[in-house]
Amino acid sequence: MLRARPDGEVMSGSRILGLLLLAPAFVFVVLFFLAPVVLTAVFALTNMSTATGITGGAYQVTQSGMRELAERHGEQALADALARVRYTVDRTGIDAASVEGASTALVSELDRRLAGQSFDSRRELERAIKKLDNRPRGTRALKSLSALFERSIVNTRFATEEEFFDAVAGLGIELDATQRAALLATTYTGWTWTGENFSRMFSLPDTRRTFLNTIIYVFATLIVFNTGFALVLSIVTHYMPDRPAGIFRAIWLLPRISPPVLYVLLWKWLAWDTGFLSRILVPLGFESRNWMLDNPTNAWVFIVLINGFVGASMGMLIFSAAIRSIPVSLFYASEVDGANRWQQVRYVILPQLRWPILFITCYQSLSLLTSFEYILLATEGGPGGATKVWALAAYLTALNNYAGNLEYGYGAALALVLVLVGVILSLAYLRLFDFKSLVAPPPIEQ
Amino acid sequence: MTLPKRVCTAAAGLAMGATAAFAADYTITVWSGGSGPNDHYRIDAISMAAEFLEHEAAIRGDELNITIEGKPYDGWEEFKQGVTLSAESGTAPNIVVTSHTDIAPWAQAGLIVAAEDYVDLDSWPLNDLYGNLIDIASFNGIVYGIPQDAESRPFFFWKDHMRGIGYSDADIEALPGKVEAGEYTLQNVLEDARKIQDAGLVEAGYGFYPRVSNGPDYWQFYLSFGGTIEEDGKLVFDKSAMSDFYQFFVDAVEAGVTRKNHIGTPWDQWYGEVASGKAGLWHGGTWHYARYTGREGLDDFFGNIQFTLIPAGGDGGRANTITHPLMYLITDQGDEDLEALAAELVTIASEPRINTLHAIKSAHLGIARSQSSVPLYADDRWASEATDRLLPHATAQPNNVNFGQYVGIMWSGLEAAWTGQKTVADAIADAETELRATLGDNIVIR
Repeated sequence: MLRARPDGEVMSGSRILGLLLLAPAFVFVVLFFLAPVVLTAVFALTNMSTATGITGGAYQVTQSGMRELAERHGEQALADALARVRYTVDRTGIDAASVEGASTALVSELDRRLAGQSFDSRRELERAIKKLDNRPRGTRALKSLSALFERSIVNTRFATEEEFFDAVAGLGIELDATQRAALLATTYTGWTWTGENFSRMFSLPDTRRTFLNTIIYVFATLIVFNTGFALVLSIVTHYMPDRPAGIFRAIWLLPRISPPVLYVLLWKWLAWDTGFLSRILVPLGFESRNWMLDNPTNAWVFIVLINGFVGASMGMLIFSAAIRSIPVSLFYASEVDGANRWQQVRYVILPQLRWPILFITCYQSLSLLTSFEYILLATEGGPGGATKVWALAAYLTALNNYAGNLEYGYGAALALVLVLVGVILSLAYLRLFDFKSLVAPPPIEQ
Repeated sequence: MTLPKRVCTAAAGLAMGATAAFAADYTITVWSGGSGPNDHYRIDAISMAAEFLEHEAAIRGDELNITIEGKPYDGWEEFKQGVTLSAESGTAPNIVVTSHTDIAPWAQAGLIVAAEDYVDLDSWPLNDLYGNLIDIASFNGIVYGIPQDAESRPFFFWKDHMRGIGYSDADIEALPGKVEAGEYTLQNVLEDARKIQDAGLVEAGYGFYPRVSNGPDYWQFYLSFGGTIEEDGKLVFDKSAMSDFYQFFVDAVEAGVTRKNHIGTPWDQWYGEVASGKAGLWHGGTWHYARYTGREGLDDFFGNIQFTLIPAGGDGGRANTITHPLMYLITDQGDEDLEALAAELVTIASEPRINTLHAIKSAHLGIARSQSSVPLYADDRWASEATDRLLPHATAQPNNVNFGQYVGIMWSGLEAAWTGQKTVADAIADAETELRATLGDNIVIR
């Protein structure tokens, strides 16, 4: 019908309908795939952390900033002038107190007893205020009053550069261009653009090790379990009667449907030095030990087993379905030709599973590349970083910091590498799949 | 002249001090990190404070209704992610109870406000707080937090095992003094741990049974070997002290008194073992007292366990202990009224009688001098002895924006050396490379 194209309106209407139907998917892709990737790339080029904030910083004179101004920029005098805390009971402050509702008696007493006096800290001023006969009652009133006499900008956060320099000028400090630049560098609390995340990444000794760990993790799990063992399971169950085969497959699905925390806890119970393995092995003369964390080899065996038992089930289902779709006549024919089981597997089943195997290899390698949750729960990357993979390193950097300073920028840089590797692998896989031939119109339509 | 921005909002408080009766409803959210079942008073104290404030307001003729919504977190990771990310999205809780080491990054980011802007540190009960705790609550010369508790991290000895290798009761009683004087060092720890194992009193690997995960405790061993964590506002990596500290744990493993795979031992297992005499010497925290005598069922703590400072590593080092007080921090809500109310609640929660409930229930130490006069505190042998023996020697980790990264690097190096993944020299060299790449001029390496 559509190929006839009776008029342009039908085509145009169907196009709009098509776009409308695609719109939710498009929004989904943009929000949950494209935006995170773009944000990761942006974050990766910054020094963003909890301390710098995500949405932007402020301009703030602090002790540490002024120390840096003196040491790195040689502006000792400027640093001293700015770092000086000063509270002065002057006319401006007293008038402000009057305007803001302080009693006449208090205003008068401030004028009479404290006018002209300066204090090196707010506490000292407040101590003086508290000695007044008409002192403000309550902490809030005291704080409100003392704030009116602040004549320094130490620790005050200014939202914009202009406000900040206005405040500096208000202190009677004139700045030249060099001083302005130095002051901006040492007072800005927010993030800045930087390429240092990548130079840091490539200079660290542990990066290479984390990279190698990732390769071990992805390929060992992939080859041994996600495709290899899945293949064995699907072929074995193919030759089993339907009912036991179904039960067998259901059992192998259990790890996938178990909550990860409980699933890993079971493995830990198995491996702890007071766990199941030790209980069995100690009477046989083995020393009690934490079998999972005993050494890197053990840790890797457990990591591959934990992930593999989960990952094998998906391959098993895909391969089983693919084997079922092989015409039974092929099996009959092979048996007539005298093929044994192994020859059936080798010459009938495996050739038909070429694409499912490729699909599982591609899908699971990308999936393993970014997965770390079972490692986090099981070994936390230990012992001694031996099982720390790239995704776990990115997570720990960006979302786990002992002193509350999460390193979003560096963590994003690590994650960006994963994104890039993922994209490159995806393109390679598309080529391997010969994607164009897969999406070519069926010959019948041509 | 132009008044600082915060004066404009603070002025409302000055006027309010003079206003007539008012009615107001508030909801204050409190999140506490690292809070187990014994730590519920961290939030309950704020609820009590709210009740007091409501009564006081009623006496003044005001109607004040405060709803406290508390959320305790068992661990730290989820808590810190929750606080920082909720603050970024503008939904931070009003009050957080957290480590003092979070102050630096969170203050720089503007997530928290300076407590000293809202409370009167010269008035009761805050003028009764220990001065060193106020110092620990400060960053860049500004008091950001109000101490919620104090603690200390002692070294423990199982008395029977010490008797088993020839210590008399008098010798055991003299241990705290010998440790403090530097006469009993970490080398003696290894020797005694070995003797205890050789005598068959504990199993192999249980002679010295350290903490099973990263934590402030490990800095104590760096200090024991003469290390300095921060000097003049800059972090310090003392290669020699760090190397000696790593070597101590490697020596412990090589001597067979500590297990190579000890890190990652489940906490529940660890607590059960140290509280039942399965370990010879170990280190922990003052709050362990509550766990040992509570859940672990140790009836006679003082009859079974001796506690001291962490012994010196040798010449140049010193016996020490680290206190890691938690703080009440007030988050920036962009609403002076809410922040002032939160500060009032925290102030009341710091009153000695209320804080003592937490101190004794959770076996932490008091925050104020007068707590020793509160019967519940004064009558508690652990609180008074631990306060006397440990707190005078307690130091704290620094409030430094970059400290979290330093902690991560220190721990990675220790873990790698301990588990045999790297030699001590390689671990130190890699840590140095990483510190230079990560912190640059912000750390002094010597």
